[in-house]
Amino acid sequence: MASLAATASPIKESTSAATKGGGESVTKRLQQELMGLMMQPSDGVSAFPSEDNMFLWSASLSGPLSTAYTGHTYKLTISFPPDYPYSPPTLKFTTGIWHPNIDLHGNICLDILKEKWSPAYNVRTVLVSLRSLLGEPNNDSPLNVQAAGMWEDQVRFKEIAKNKWEEEMRKEGA
Amino acid sequence: MPTTKRDRGSPVPTSSTKPTSDSSSSTKKPLKVKVKSFHGIARWSWGTPADDVCGICQSPFEGCAPGVKFPGDDCPVVWGACKHAYHLACISQWLAGGKNSCPICRADWNFADDS
Repeated sequence: MASLAATASPIKESTSAATKGGGESVTKRLQQELMGLMMQPSDGVSAFPSEDNMFLWSASLSGPLSTAYTGHTYKLTISFPPDYPYSPPTLKFTTGIWHPNIDLHGNICLDILKEKWSPAYNVRTVLVSLRSLLGEPNNDSPLNVQAAGMWEDQVRFKEIAKNKWEEEMRKEGA
Repeated sequence: MPTTKRDRGSPVPTSSTKPTSDSSSSTKKPLKVKVKSFHGIARWSWGTPADDVCGICQSPFEGCAPGVKFPGDDCPVVWGACKHAYHLACISQWLAGGKNSCPICRADWNFADDS
């Protein structure tokens, strides 16, 4: 690598500069992502920042076709760490859902939000991945063991998922 | 390394914009120079596709990574052995977090020999 010596000192400078930029640059990045989502929405997903905090967004996912979740819309919160996108955002379902990889508190077990996170992901790709997780759970690492065990029996699974959804809608209506 | 002649988009704030007599003057307020027009004679590029953005910060390669003030030599673009490019500042911050993989293809990160 011919230019290593020449670039060795700028490495330190620019890294510390980027770290210092912190909150401001993350806010800018999030605004940029928001703009992208508004100009070019993706099928079945949407997200918007809360009124007074750019680091806390509300999102929604519509159940993919031909799944136990078809026709349902689920709400989530997304909270971004101060070093986003170097660390993953935290997503949580606020609408209860019956799913092998989502517990009854809405916590999600998805590798790309944990150890497989990459700073090349963004809000859009995370939501699209999460939406596809609905129809294709990973039953080997369940958070909801009962739901995972029931997955093979799709008739029963769909019935429980539907009941859970209806219960959530009653809660919302109440 | 690409040539670093600059033109539009990044007027270089060189010392020529400050009068050199400043130091000898008694007032501490620096004079300001307003650039009314200039003629570009060359253009630099990192050799990345036009309008392509860094996969980490999503800013154009020919612009700045967050927290870096000036494009060009202050914010170089580097390639991995896997051929994926990032701003040096961005990939450095990712690697500094203890990861050693390309954010796009997950291959072990090694700087390309010629970057």
